[in-house]
Amino acid sequence: MVKSIISTVIVALIFTCCAIYEANFTKRQFEEFNQVLEVLYEKVDEKTATEDDVYSVQANWVEKKKYLHIFIPHNEIKEIDLWLSESVKLVREEKWEDALSKIEVLRELSEQIPKTFRTSIENIL
Amino acid sequence: MTIIFIRTLIIFVVLVIILRLMGKSQIGEMQPFEFVITLIIADLACVPMADVSIPLTYGLTAVLALFLFHQLLSLLEQSGSFFKKVISGKPSLVINKDGVDIKELKNNNMDINELIESMRGAGYFNLDDVDYAIFESNGKLSALESKNKSDSASLPIVLVYNGKPDKKNMLKAHLTNENIQEFFKTKKENIKNTEVMTIDGNGRVYLKQKNKKYTITSIPIKRSELW
Repeated sequence: MVKSIISTVIVALIFTCCAIYEANFTKRQFEEFNQVLEVLYEKVDEKTATEDDVYSVQANWVEKKKYLHIFIPHNEIKEIDLWLSESVKLVREEKWEDALSKIEVLRELSEQIPKTFRTSIENIL
Repeated sequence: MTIIFIRTLIIFVVLVIILRLMGKSQIGEMQPFEFVITLIIADLACVPMADVSIPLTYGLTAVLALFLFHQLLSLLEQSGSFFKKVISGKPSLVINKDGVDIKELKNNNMDINELIESMRGAGYFNLDDVDYAIFESNGKLSALESKNKSDSASLPIVLVYNGKPDKKNMLKAHLTNENIQEFFKTKKENIKNTEVMTIDGNGRVYLKQKNKKYTITSIPIKRSELW
């Protein structure tokens, strides 16, 4: 009985801590990524962005996704990878309008993905 | 993680409720909630193992959540008989000193054939071989052997159940509707009030009428009519 209670409490504690950490971690990572994307968006909008700017955003993302793989389905991470790769090419070719739309999608993704992990009725059902 | 936990909880609770409603015949020597865990744990472990697009954490979270529910339900069960009754159900006395309790059988979504089958599994072939038979909450049949256990070498078959004659078994026993009517007339009983009537190859009859104790009687049959 005592063993059962202890193991239940331990698992419940581990679970609660992990859930809180996961919620904060994913939120923070995507907020930071969104800020980086916003800077890039402004640069592209002003047509001053370079290929290196997008590469630095990509490097930032690569660093973040290493740990996000633990909590986020890999397909969603792959989606961001693809949009980022397209942005590199469009900025290199100075196709500003197309690049802007890609970065807009990336910003939207970085806002929406953490929302799908929020505890809400629509996400549970 | 929290979403997976809540989703696992919902599925778990729904499965336990459904299994409890399905009755004891659906459970094989396990408590309903243990059976649910066995049902879903293999899948939970396999999906993230085989599908690399799903983080391993998802599978681990669900498995840990199940462990937590199991522990909580076990603790609740130990805390009092009320919780035990709600979570795992209670044993059902399906055969008592008066004979088969059809109402109790129906409460467990079972019929007489399932009871006879379970009794055969426990080594009893006649309904009057036991004084008491209990379906435990894990679906297992426990029986207290009767002192007057018959050593009949013939297998009993159900002739009448719930007031309805079984035509197939009547043919097997070489009995007609008239034979049955005649039998009830001599016994001054009504077939519609008959809960269970079985007959073995020697013509030995087990008769249980509504609100009455069962009786053992016989129908004379020819030696050649043994099955």
